Amino acid sequence: MSLWVDKYRPTSLGKLDYHKDQAAQLKNLVQCGDFPHLLVYGPSGAGKKTRIMCLLRELYGAGVEKLRIEHQTIVSPSKKKIEINTIASNYHLEVNPSDAGNQDCVVIQEMIKTVAQSQQIQSSTQKDFKVVLLTEVDRLTKEAQHALRRTMEKYMATCRLILCSTSTSKVIGPIRSRCLAIRIPLPSTEEVCTVLTSVCKKEGLLLPPELAKQISEKSGRNLRKALLMCEACRVQQYPFSVDQDVPETDWEVYLRETANAIVSLQSPQRLLEVRARLYELLTHCIPPDVIMKVLVRELLSNCDGQLKTEVAHMAAYYEHRLQLGNKAIYHLEAFTAKFMAMYKKFMEDGLDAMMF
Amino acid sequence: MDEYDELFEVQDDFDEQFADELEVLAELEEESFKPKRSARGPADDISDIEHLLHDQPITPKAKRQKQDASVAKRLFNTSQTQQSKAPAHGDDITPPSSPEQYEPSHTFRAASAVLDISGFAAIPETPSRPDTAAPASLCVLKRPPLEGEFISVTDSSGRRVYLRQKDASTRVAESRIVPNSYGSLGLLAVPIGELKEQAAEKRHQQVVEESERLTKLLASSVNDAFVEAETREDKENEDPEDAEALASRLWVDRFSPRHYTELLSDDFTNRCLLKWLKLWDTVVFGKERKSRPFRSDRQASNQSSFKPNQGNQNQNRFKSKIEVTEELLEAELDQYKRPRFKVALLSGPPGLGKTTLAHVIAKHAGYNVVEINASDDRSAEVFQKRIDTATQMKSVLGANERPNCLIIDEIDGAPAAAINILLAVLNRKDGHGAEAAAETAKKKKKKEAILLRPIICICNDLYAPALRPLRQQAFLLTFPQTQTSRLAQRLAEISLRQGMKADTGTLTSLCEKTDNDIRSCINTLQFLYSRGHKQLDTKTLQSVSVGQKDQNKGLFHLWQEIFQLPRTKRKRVGEGFEEVPGSGGGAQRFQHILHLASSSGEYEKVSQGLYDNFLSMRIRDPSLMSVCDALDWLSFSDRLHQVILHGQNFSLMKYLPFLSVTFHFLFAHTHVPRISYPHSQHEAASRLLGSKNALATMLSDIPACIRTRISQHILSLDILTLLLDIICPKLRPVNPQLFSSKEKEQMRELIDTMLAYNLSYRQDRTPEGQYTYVLEPRVEEVVRFSGLPPRRQLTYQAKQTISREMAQERMRRAEQLMLQRNPAKQEEKKSSGPKAPMNHQQRLENIVKQTIVESRPEVDFFGRAVAPKPQRAQASSDTGEKCVVLAMGTAVGNSDVWFRFNEGMSNAVRRSVYIRELL
Repeated sequence: MSLWVDKYRPTSLGKLDYHKDQAAQLKNLVQCGDFPHLLVYGPSGAGKKTRIMCLLRELYGAGVEKLRIEHQTIVSPSKKKIEINTIASNYHLEVNPSDAGNQDCVVIQEMIKTVAQSQQIQSSTQKDFKVVLLTEVDRLTKEAQHALRRTMEKYMATCRLILCSTSTSKVIGPIRSRCLAIRIPLPSTEEVCTVLTSVCKKEGLLLPPELAKQISEKSGRNLRKALLMCEACRVQQYPFSVDQDVPETDWEVYLRETANAIVSLQSPQRLLEVRARLYELLTHCIPPDVIMKVLVRELLSNCDGQLKTEVAHMAAYYEHRLQLGNKAIYHLEAFTAKFMAMYKKFMEDGLDAMMF
Repeated sequence: MDEYDELFEVQDDFDEQFADELEVLAELEEESFKPKRSARGPADDISDIEHLLHDQPITPKAKRQKQDASVAKRLFNTSQTQQSKAPAHGDDITPPSSPEQYEPSHTFRAASAVLDISGFAAIPETPSRPDTAAPASLCVLKRPPLEGEFISVTDSSGRRVYLRQKDASTRVAESRIVPNSYGSLGLLAVPIGELKEQAAEKRHQQVVEESERLTKLLASSVNDAFVEAETREDKENEDPEDAEALASRLWVDRFSPRHYTELLSDDFTNRCLLKWLKLWDTVVFGKERKSRPFRSDRQASNQSSFKPNQGNQNQNRFKSKIEVTEELLEAELDQYKRPRFKVALLSGPPGLGKTTLAHVIAKHAGYNVVEINASDDRSAEVFQKRIDTATQMKSVLGANERPNCLIIDEIDGAPAAAINILLAVLNRKDGHGAEAAAETAKKKKKKEAILLRPIICICNDLYAPALRPLRQQAFLLTFPQTQTSRLAQRLAEISLRQGMKADTGTLTSLCEKTDNDIRSCINTLQFLYSRGHKQLDTKTLQSVSVGQKDQNKGLFHLWQEIFQLPRTKRKRVGEGFEEVPGSGGGAQRFQHILHLASSSGEYEKVSQGLYDNFLSMRIRDPSLMSVCDALDWLSFSDRLHQVILHGQNFSLMKYLPFLSVTFHFLFAHTHVPRISYPHSQHEAASRLLGSKNALATMLSDIPACIRTRISQHILSLDILTLLLDIICPKLRPVNPQLFSSKEKEQMRELIDTMLAYNLSYRQDRTPEGQYTYVLEPRVEEVVRFSGLPPRRQLTYQAKQTISREMAQERMRRAEQLMLQRNPAKQEEKKSSGPKAPMNHQQRLENIVKQTIVESRPEVDFFGRAVAPKPQRAQASSDTGEKCVVLAMGTAVGNSDVWFRFNEGMSNAVRRSVYIRELL
């Protein structure tokens, strides 16, 4: 528990640093001891999980924090064994069904249903429902989501579901309509700065406000990342200096270099090099949609205003195909080639205009 | 001569002709082109083969005949007496002539029939030549026979010999008596009436068949009287049993080669297989192998004298190829006198005559062919049984008394289990090698005997995965393409015999169209013939779509076709019009590529190959539009794939081959493309798996409170890079005991973090012998990219320090955990202990009661003074057993150390030691 991220994580709804209105609302929600199914969504590093755990603690007390890891084995109808890790307290169960890959439907059908069906033994002392926390719901297959629909309704009496995802676009409508959706937005730059300063104060360190601002900007307001960066800065150099360079994640640097390579030259050979780099990124467990997003961001920063709309349009088109397809590399490279062609044409047109 | 006699002669002639080579062969070769040849026995065939073995490589047939003729002439002087076979026999007249001249041959036959498979050593040598005089034909004796009539003859040199007189009837009787032993006294084995009846029946049958055939012919083929004449001719040529099935038989069967010299396949391949088969002679027929130098001398002389027209360079060209196979073939026989390779593996595309070659050669080498092919059940047990039956047994009844030769056809389709069984059969000797000679008694017990018969395997795809183990142990023979000229010549022969008019050009184009597939050529011919085409020309050929196989050419070929424009000069047959350079070729190229792509079937692999290679083609594409198009097509086909697999909507599969067509039109170039095999995706997939595994390992042992906050993606995207930075603080390179309190705090935090995230350093040794500490699990590779500036690394010493500290911290924690659990146990002990005092206490009680208590300072095992433990004393006093404790005194009761005399036991001294005392 020694990383700052873990050490200074708020554990109750009252101690949350930002989105305090929402925290108050959540508190009111569970005041009566019951709540509907929840769909908590928001970008990574905004504090979804923190809020969910705070909520559970509000509901059940400190016992929720005594966690244990359980290894479960489920046998699918086709006699295939699926092993899945769950994290559980006495009151709740956390599952990431997408760990099972394509078999996540089985996890939903077998495991969640079993848990949901079982009644609490001592209903007098405990709440009469259990909470099942499903993470990464946006990575669930359609079949699994459909399997979830009926379970959500049928076992309402004994079980509440909290779904956690980064976006709702991949959650099917029926599930969205069964849940109370709670969006957790990213903290603002100032809020990030405040958190950083307060953490440093607790550590007995002095953080210059300029550096805090720089860190919060570099982290893209992702609080987890910001805290890690801050700690990395501390390890790198203390006392802090204002113009200290903030360590970044490698893949972002790599992707930026790739974008620069694309912009600097457009030829089939360069495309081959870019392909190798894209492969490299994919093999380092960077999800293709993240690659696409960051790549587009980096490319757009190199484009002129007129080209920007076109590039954004193409990016949306290829991102959609990426979601539909299976081999990410084709789509990423198709986008790259398209960008190259567009950029080249744009530059040549610009040159012609200059000439005449 | 009847069949029985001939059979013996076969064996004997075989022996003899193997010994004296070319002379007779040359003659026979000449003879073999007379129509009479079909009547001759296999002995002649063998001689032909022998001849061919010593012949030099690939020579067109016509030429060789001439040479043979010259051979014959030259050798005529030396072998005057051997004008024909009969005089040849007459030459070796046997002195011990007697009425029982049959005897020696009988014994020989017995020997060969018994031919023991399990113990070859037990097989007697083949009786030498003079003993096995040809049986019935030998009627020239040096002494007058004891019984029967004879004629005395004196030759020019004054020697007198006696010719035995025989009448036809006795001979018939004699020979009949042996096979069917009834009717012993009658002159005829079968009563004359019966014979007559049979003859009449036969005649009747023939007539009926003839009429049937004629009506059929009239019905099927429409017009010419020519046909009938032709068929009648045919009938005269063929054997009667051939004629009966004539109408329904395929030409492929009718004109299939029955003789070695008729084979169309490559001469070199044929000869190699034959040589290999001949290597088995030693073990199968018990013949000594001729010494190598002798033969090579002979060969050399033959070459120099007979083939002056054969160019030297020609010889050189084939030298290496020959040498390679010679090496293989001349390798020493193993301890059982078998060749080194027990199996020959023939491979090549369909229709080159592999099966035919195997059958013909096996027959010619004197074997009885046993074939297993894909139509048989080839499950493991059945296969094993069949192999054993074929290789270990032999037919005892009937005329077929030759040893078996197993031909396993279409082996590439056999399951891997079957091939493993075959391998097991091949390698059987290995275990029993040494004992085989020594213990024959043991051999009988063993039901598995070593392999003593040749096996020929035939396959189309040499590189089928199941064949991999077999490839290493087999004598590999790859079939080259049949020469177009030879095939065309054969086709011309056939069409001539069938009365079809076709010029060589047309036939050549037919060969090209079918890619020199003999079977397909002949089938096409027959098809055209039966449709009434008596005149064959190029037009009709082009209009026919038969003969084009749905062939699988291999991926590289496909990729090459896609990326390479066809040369416009080459005129392709069977693809419609002549190629018009430029516009006209488009539709046709489209069809061609589409056909190729859809017949290959491996769309996934094909598209990967295209993807990996298209950017390295020479693209004249400054605006990158074609690259964009290509990638759009790729992503489209990927989507298509996804839909097909996800929805199992396989009807969409027909759109997949169009990807290849697109690539062809976008990137085809006249240059020969350099194509590499697509590895990239597989590589990427395996590396991705590796990274995922590393992350999973890391995640698996992270404690639950942290585990709940992180997932794999968060780990790889946000945490890991920065975490690795965080665990590399600046440490003073001094002993950790000298750290300031702040540094100690830092160290503690570092170790906390590493433990929390399941990271550790493990000492490893590099191949150069240096020790390094590597981070375990190997997540560094997951987050670090090559080509970026390297991050700060800890020194070896720092890592060592951290590693040691971590180990200590782990032990501390483990002990803490134990202590947390232990109190409960100690409570238990205390509550249960007093009620039933432990053994040692009981014993000690007795001892203490008798001995005087000495008051000595308490010392533990390590010699340290032990402070009395008040709680313990209290606890024990609480129980109310004061008297015992008092009696035991200070020496024992309060001490943690117990001594017990226990011989030979290592647990004589017990002491609980805590980690915290050691650290």
